[in-house]
Amino acid sequence: MGEVSRKSKKPLQVNPFKLSQPMGAALAFLGVDRCMPLMHGAIGCTSYTKVYYTRHFAEPIAIQTTAVSDVTAILDGGDYSIVESVKNITGKVTPSLIGLHTTGLTETKGDDIRAVAGKIDFPLVHVNTPDYEGGLESGWALATRAMIEQLVTPTESIDDDKLALLPHASLTPVEVEKIKEFIASFGYEVLALPDLSTSLDGHLGEKQAALSGGGISVEQIRGLADAGLVVTVGDSMQGCARALLEKNPFVRHLHFRHLGGLEATDALAARLMKETGVERPQPPIARWRKRLQDAMLDGHFSLGQTRVLVVGEPDQLAGFCQALNEAGARVAVAVSTVDSPQLETIPAAKVLVGDLEDAENLRDEYGLIVGNDHAEALARRFGKALVLRGFPNWEQVGNQLKNDVLYEGGAYFLFEAANAATALREHKEGH
Amino acid sequence: MTPKPKIKDLLDESACAHNKTRKTACNAPTPGATTGGCAFEGAQITLFPYADAAHLVHGPMTCLGASWETRATKTGWEGRDLTQVGFTTGISTKDVVFGGEQKLLDAIGYIVERYAPEAVFVYATCVTALIGDDIDAVCRHAEGKHGVPVVPVHAPGFVGSKNLGSRLGGEAALAGLIGTAEPEEATPFDINLIGEYNVTGDMWQYSHLLEELGIRVLSTLSGDGRIARIRTAHRARLNVIVCAKSLVSLTRKMEERYGIPSVSLSFYGKRDTSAGLLAIAEALGDAELVARTRRLVAREEAKLEEKLKPYREVFRGKKAVLNTGGNKSWSIASALQDLGIEVVATAVKKATEADREKAREHLGEKGVLMMNPGAEQSKIIDETGAHLLLAGGRSLYTAIKKGIAFADVNQEKKKSYGGYGGLLNLAEDLKNALENPVFTNVARRAPWEK
Repeated sequence: MGEVSRKSKKPLQVNPFKLSQPMGAALAFLGVDRCMPLMHGAIGCTSYTKVYYTRHFAEPIAIQTTAVSDVTAILDGGDYSIVESVKNITGKVTPSLIGLHTTGLTETKGDDIRAVAGKIDFPLVHVNTPDYEGGLESGWALATRAMIEQLVTPTESIDDDKLALLPHASLTPVEVEKIKEFIASFGYEVLALPDLSTSLDGHLGEKQAALSGGGISVEQIRGLADAGLVVTVGDSMQGCARALLEKNPFVRHLHFRHLGGLEATDALAARLMKETGVERPQPPIARWRKRLQDAMLDGHFSLGQTRVLVVGEPDQLAGFCQALNEAGARVAVAVSTVDSPQLETIPAAKVLVGDLEDAENLRDEYGLIVGNDHAEALARRFGKALVLRGFPNWEQVGNQLKNDVLYEGGAYFLFEAANAATALREHKEGH
Repeated sequence: MTPKPKIKDLLDESACAHNKTRKTACNAPTPGATTGGCAFEGAQITLFPYADAAHLVHGPMTCLGASWETRATKTGWEGRDLTQVGFTTGISTKDVVFGGEQKLLDAIGYIVERYAPEAVFVYATCVTALIGDDIDAVCRHAEGKHGVPVVPVHAPGFVGSKNLGSRLGGEAALAGLIGTAEPEEATPFDINLIGEYNVTGDMWQYSHLLEELGIRVLSTLSGDGRIARIRTAHRARLNVIVCAKSLVSLTRKMEERYGIPSVSLSFYGKRDTSAGLLAIAEALGDAELVARTRRLVAREEAKLEEKLKPYREVFRGKKAVLNTGGNKSWSIASALQDLGIEVVATAVKKATEADREKAREHLGEKGVLMMNPGAEQSKIIDETGAHLLLAGGRSLYTAIKKGIAFADVNQEKKKSYGGYGGLLNLAEDLKNALENPVFTNVARRAPWEK
């Protein structure tokens, strides 16, 4: 592990890739079938979020705003804006749930959304997500935790075949699906919360609905507490597991910091074998493990000569850095959006909480970048190779089907990274 | 010090044609039933194309985190394009409690020192406006300290819509920049382009024609703009408003203060581009210039017609349904008609009354003006046998179900459709849409579906 620097000395962020808590919360609510995220703030926060996710997923995004105005910003404690919003939303569509979450504006004015929510006679989950704290990952985790706390029915009974999966914010829809399938192949019925794998996976819907379709149902969330096992992926989700354990003291919890690379996937397989007594996983899993081993060897010639910059959310960084490191690539710099205990575990020479200006200042230390769209300009300006990952990616299509986790995704990811590094080296030497 | 802009005055715009009928105008978002951007977004859109200025957002992460690098406002500025650099104070809980003024001052210093901008725009946002940071004082202090214009932009999101924000952006430029420097020389044909943001290079589709005519663009607000030039804007002979909706107040005030008249026009489609160029020439009041413009317009139209020939065949007898908003409800219709496509319906739900009248003029008595396009468009496609649906992404499924061509005119477009050259781009995109078999193919039923 390298040196970790958590505090920026700058009075500002230049070229930030950090996203806000309200955006993370909205995304989590979109992983619930027919849920309407309702962002409590001025119209812009919601509009930006809607456009942002629409472009990233190339799908219509259902989300609403309480449209706080200059007058309600001062005079209203949230009662008017929120109650009126619920009335207007339910007047047009019938969501299964309203996911009410705050922004910097409504946190600053001090609205008591819990009290307002208590006056509303409609299924609603409320959560405080000021955007001057945390980021996308924590907003997602806060919303998930709120859903568990406010929806799940307490119980003491256990269904040993049922497993609750709590994935972190940066896992793509297809990655959530692959993790569900991997675990299900050991005999579990897997329910993911939130579940983007069936809501934002880019499938062609039956019609242009005003609500998102797919995702975990509210009924399934209510009944989550009898799951024999809860599996968290990503340190940000630990609090969610604790909340579920509060609903049923007999639920057992398995935690994985990430599922990137050989070692992490082995750990998941080993734990599931131990839990179930299964001695050999299904043939496709064993086959993909061999393919990943081969990918590591095939890729190591290129990756071994490559120094990498990885930028992203903490849980996402941890997975990418581990996978690259296992195949011999050296992560020179890892830049995280926010602080997290996860940063201590990241195998990189330098780990810092910062922005893309920080990454630019360290540009002599790497040749390959793994990061989002905003890193594209950096790569272009200084002739770096680029593997586009994370939010946002507006230039490419297919983000929802990018798979980097477990044996299978790990193989694809290493090939892509190795090829990108090779292409750039050949291009540079050729000219 | 410059007084803060008065929101009420901006909403009650006497130069707006619809003002008499809609007093409360343009500014009432409904909780739980609204989409669209906020005032902060509008202000950014208006000022953002100044690539030689730094745009510093004083607020929490949402405001900049989800908005930088989102607009393809092209620039010919040869230094580093600062519209591609995101700056934010990214305020934290501590700043909310104790105030963010010192941090803001430090941030401006950091930017001036390392990025040497020609000016710094400082945007207030909901949170920093609510906690009462005095950005006017900070900007004044920083301007004195660093010797570059530091312009406060008072458009926190909660004051209203994107459109109001654009006006507030214009107000900021008027208060902090316009009239603060003199041009090296003046010509009788100096104009300002107002409300043209050069998205995807739209402005460059016609700016070379202005140059050829001897009309000098003294300054722009703000497409491919320069700070040094907008400071001299008060010496122009004419303001040319390209998007009337966003900056009509600014041009009225410039007329009152500096005596600059204005014309409002569109550079969309062949007829509008030609009419626009002629309107500028006529407003500048020089007979020779008007004659020159007529010759140029005739030449350009002939050139365009020649290039459009291969497309005419493809478009012959084709009918389109148009579902978009604002002035696009008629300006794109006009461009489509220029291509020989019959526009059978256009949506006017999100258009102003003036826009609705224009849409009626363009479509004629037979054309349908859709007030509820979501429900109507599908029926109209069936009734008219339309071949093409131009709309936003939400209407995609309508096109798939009907198996007709679809072109997205609402998403952030990648190509310029402005001027004569842009019409060719539009023709090419529509040809590709019409010839693409994907909508018919995707509409196929699965073998296991009845």
